[in-house]
Amino acid sequence: MYSVLICDDSMVARKQAAKCLPDEWDVAVHFAKHGGEAIEALKQGKGQLLLLDLNMPIMDGYQTLENILKEGIDTQVIVISGDVQPEAHERVRSLGALDFIKKPVKPAILKELLHKYHIIDAQAEDEPEAEVHTLDPDIRDCYQEITNIAMGRAGDHLARILNVFVRLPIPNVNLIEVSELHMMLQDIELKDSVSGICQGFVGPGISGEALFILSDSSFGDVAKIMGIEGAVDDHVQLELLMDAANILIGTCLTGLASQLDLYFSQGHPVVLGQHRSISELISSNRMRWRRTLAIELSYGLEGYNVHCDLVLLMTEESMKVMNYKLSHLLED
Amino acid sequence: MSTNFSDELDDLAEFHWMMDMLQTVDVGIVVLDRNFNVVVWNAFMESHSGLLPSDVRERNLFELFPEVDQPWFIAKCRPIFELKTRAFITWEQRPYMFRFANYRPITGTEDYMYQNITLSPLTGTTGRVDHMCIMLYDVTDVAAHKKRAEAVEVSLNELREQTGTKA
Repeated sequence: MYSVLICDDSMVARKQAAKCLPDEWDVAVHFAKHGGEAIEALKQGKGQLLLLDLNMPIMDGYQTLENILKEGIDTQVIVISGDVQPEAHERVRSLGALDFIKKPVKPAILKELLHKYHIIDAQAEDEPEAEVHTLDPDIRDCYQEITNIAMGRAGDHLARILNVFVRLPIPNVNLIEVSELHMMLQDIELKDSVSGICQGFVGPGISGEALFILSDSSFGDVAKIMGIEGAVDDHVQLELLMDAANILIGTCLTGLASQLDLYFSQGHPVVLGQHRSISELISSNRMRWRRTLAIELSYGLEGYNVHCDLVLLMTEESMKVMNYKLSHLLED
Repeated sequence: MSTNFSDELDDLAEFHWMMDMLQTVDVGIVVLDRNFNVVVWNAFMESHSGLLPSDVRERNLFELFPEVDQPWFIAKCRPIFELKTRAFITWEQRPYMFRFANYRPITGTEDYMYQNITLSPLTGTTGRVDHMCIMLYDVTDVAAHKKRAEAVEVSLNELREQTGTKA
């Protein structure tokens, strides 16, 4: 079977790219969180086609392309990035990439390229293009910026309390549909390799939920950082999950609140576990909302095998209030 | 002069009923200083622990409640004082922090009170966090329901296995 490898540090972006692959195309889809993982997977023959992001921790897109050239790995690469500068475009082509797609990926554009480079045979299918809602780039930048500032402060705090160097994530800001969130959460539910916590927060006119997801392979190192000795059993894992979530959600929300000049109340966190079907939760709420603003942060700690994601989901209505509060930043 | 006096009286009255509210709210409220000495102990805490505010004020929390795991609690409080963020402890993690009897001694099914706890920083006039607040919620009913639901799920699965029907 033809294999496609999607390499992006953002979970939302990975899912989004996977969703944009033509439905009728029978392929094996693999994922990588950074260039290092991508090279590994390519060597195992898991990517005849590589959809590659540029800005990533550990090994970015350019370095990945260089490595592919250097090691003579047989793959075709299409770069998917939010970086639309012409130099970026030129650079990736000179490093052997076939083409360049702007984020967020649109199914029709991806399909066109797949045909253009004869990756899939030109079959006459005319599917209506799904309506894709995107954020105004100015607003996206603005949200990204305030999250960056919040994270900068949070990173400093974290580094001090945990005595580790925190690789600051580049926030991914997207408007996502119910179905995309559904896919994201299904991952938590199906794989027992991740654990999650969700916590509601509310401020005047703004409401949302923070979702914290920690890969289970991280627990050992998190325990070390938190200074826990002895076996890391289920009970200790829950304790660590809560501690990590408290610190990350807390610092991030405090940072955002101070820039928006408001105060967030936080509800009690809920453990997303096996006794609660997440897909059911989402589908029963489907009538209430269609789209949500998602600010996604992927964290890594230098020198440790720790990977976690923090996703802040906010209702569409909240954006009105936030845009108003941020209007001084949006004005030219 | 007289208006000033009545303003002050109003302020005092307001302060009085604010304190009354803090006292009577059905949530446990404890204020601790950086050395974990008790500063505020509301009526909920008094009633459930049987300790009067005068018994606990300016006394160390760990001396008063040896059952509270000291290194664990101090670690929990670091982000409160150092990062000024809130921390949460759920009953799933630890059923309780203070061992209190069930609020409903007659009809309650559990022996003790399950507690959800929020730890919150209290910023002083200088902007420094010198105090923190423990808010304690009784979630015994939630815990009892969840435990029952899980028990039902287990017996349902057993029944399914016996009869060979699928979920």
